[in-house]
Amino acid sequence: MLEYAWLIPVFPFVAFLLIAMLPKKTLFWEDGAVYGIAGAFGALALSVLVIWQVLMGETLTVDAPRTTWIIVGDFQIEFGIWIDQLTAVMLLVVSVVGTLVVIYSGGYMHEEGEGRRRYYAEIMLFISVMYGLVISDNYLQMFIFWELVGLCSYLLIGFWYTKPSAASAAKRAFIVTRVGDIMFMAGIIILFKYVGNLDFAQLFSESTSHQVPSDMMTLATALIFGGAIGKSAQFPLHEWLPDAMEGPTTVSALIHAATMVKAGVYLTARSYPLLVQAPDSLLLVAVIGGVTALIAATVALAANDIKRVLAYSTISQLGYMILGLGAGGYLVIHANDPGGYAAATFHLMNHAFFKALLFLCAGSVIHAVGTNDMRLMGGLGRKMRITSTTMLVGAIAIAGIPPFSGFWSKDEVLAAVYHAGEFDPVFFLLWAMGIATAFMTAFYMFRMWFMTFAGEPRSDYHAHESPKIMTVPLMILAGLAMVSGFALFIGEGFKGFMERSVEELVPGAARETLGDVAVGIFTDPLTYVSLVLAVVGILLAYRMYYVPGFDRSVFAKGFSGKLQRALENRWYISKFYDDFAIRIVYALSLVADLFDRYVIDGLVNGFAYLGGRGGNVLRRAQDGNVQRYTSLIIVGICLLLILVLYVLPWGGW
Amino acid sequence: MIPIEYWLILSSLLFAIGAYGVMTRRNAIVVLMCIEIMLNAANINLVAFSSYHTVLHGTADASGQAFALFSIAIAAAEVAVGLATILSVYRRYQTIDVDKINILRW
Repeated sequence: MLEYAWLIPVFPFVAFLLIAMLPKKTLFWEDGAVYGIAGAFGALALSVLVIWQVLMGETLTVDAPRTTWIIVGDFQIEFGIWIDQLTAVMLLVVSVVGTLVVIYSGGYMHEEGEGRRRYYAEIMLFISVMYGLVISDNYLQMFIFWELVGLCSYLLIGFWYTKPSAASAAKRAFIVTRVGDIMFMAGIIILFKYVGNLDFAQLFSESTSHQVPSDMMTLATALIFGGAIGKSAQFPLHEWLPDAMEGPTTVSALIHAATMVKAGVYLTARSYPLLVQAPDSLLLVAVIGGVTALIAATVALAANDIKRVLAYSTISQLGYMILGLGAGGYLVIHANDPGGYAAATFHLMNHAFFKALLFLCAGSVIHAVGTNDMRLMGGLGRKMRITSTTMLVGAIAIAGIPPFSGFWSKDEVLAAVYHAGEFDPVFFLLWAMGIATAFMTAFYMFRMWFMTFAGEPRSDYHAHESPKIMTVPLMILAGLAMVSGFALFIGEGFKGFMERSVEELVPGAARETLGDVAVGIFTDPLTYVSLVLAVVGILLAYRMYYVPGFDRSVFAKGFSGKLQRALENRWYISKFYDDFAIRIVYALSLVADLFDRYVIDGLVNGFAYLGGRGGNVLRRAQDGNVQRYTSLIIVGICLLLILVLYVLPWGGW
Repeated sequence: MIPIEYWLILSSLLFAIGAYGVMTRRNAIVVLMCIEIMLNAANINLVAFSSYHTVLHGTADASGQAFALFSIAIAAAEVAVGLATILSVYRRYQTIDVDKINILRW
């Protein structure tokens, strides 16, 4: 059954073709949403079957069916599928969130008119290539789909391309992620140079991966992680993600929260068999993740745009996952414990659900109010009961209050980071950053919730609850955000399940029983530290943004004023890039312009001039007198004969 | 049996005379005739070498003579085309002086 998994991307792709090609009259409801929903459901059904098989313990990795794509001499490039536990988690996320987002779009995109066809076509293409990325069985295939999801992201961020800010945000996202993609490509080229093959089956086997010298392995894995930095919006390439919020909110929910930005985390997790051979790269992974989590969380504290809060929150949570993977690698190397890896992928799954929920709720709010600015909202809770309740569920989940999903996975990640501290003290620092992030996350999520839904309206709007087609996906996602954390305790438990995909790296690791997992969480004092901090964060937000009378003017002067302005300006990172672009890139462009104008054009025009003038002189020879031509031909033949018969033999040839 | 050198000298002389005529004569018909002389110089060469083959190897090989016959047939066709061209040129310009027919230039 698993060998038919390649059909999963085919369903949305067919939907994409139909929506893009069919005549307008046959698009039916919402300009093609029907085909989109049908395609998404087809893929969902097949994904569920595949996930079920994987849950039953079947995988399809090394011996998967493969098809030859390119033959160059003795070398073949093959395409295939790779279904293991990690793939199953990603399939679950893409299929569930993808389907719900397409349904939700039926309500959210209603007012777009003609643009809806383009929207549905692009979003189905995205879903299709995202599935393709997830089931790829070699780095080249993955890279191709990696670029395709980037393309879809670009197209959808720039959905309102007539708006200059959307057009430039799309370009920015495309170019910034391209920086990471180049690093990814460089990484796989290094691997190819030493192994001669990019198949996971070859690269991940013990005998082959030792062909790569260890310093080159460090470089290659660090470069591959560079791809993840770009795609998953990690520091210092994170600034494209908040700008990407220019696209429709559904796009933000699907691509820039739940799926595409997870591709970087997925890539890092997928490369684990290589990463554990390069501890320096793992340290880089962990540090980048920790720094990103902290920086993004601080910026989210001061953001006033509801989608930007969520965007920075996404960056911060992605940082958590990356940090968890980095720390998990240390645990694999030193403690033979795959717990960190399982925790990070667990957080990946939970985060996909609650962040998609939060984004779709924000979309519902924006749909009702017509602005993104939280300073103009307020008091929406009474008018939008379903949206406000589901968003509260999402906020509690991300803040890490039990028993909602965020608590379990965030706690597992932090525990893994803390334990990695036994092998390298820098992880204690990263753990402290993670805890601080957890506190800030709780604060800014509830700040957002209170600013949006509590109090009195701060501007003139006539909000109303969104239609059922939008609220039903919200309720489903809210349900998932509540219960997905319990995956930790179902069947063999999420940790036991994920550990299977890296079991070759940790031979003979002791399996924790479900009871041990639960006891481990609730007897660990660290759990209570993060829980207390989350509650304090929520209470602080309650005090500052719900209870009236809090004087916010303290944030206007002195050091705290400076800090506030730094946060509002995103730590000036964006400004730094802009200045960088203006100064350095402009200077480079000037040089390139001069070079182009005087050297390249000079050469080209010079040759043209030379040809023209030379022709002017030489054309005098063409005087139209046939007998002169004849004479010249005969003289030429005589000269050639003299050359061949006398001069060349004389010269010794 | 006339030695091959005699034939070759005759052929070279004819060729040179023809080439000289092509380069110097003004009358287009004479130029055409000179081209014929050059062609026939080549024909003589072909026949001479054909016969020389028999002397050298003791076996007859008629391909040289066959080439000469082909060449004569083609020369006849070429004369027909050449004379027709000259006739057209004469109707257009009232002259067949090749020095004056020089508009195909620059």
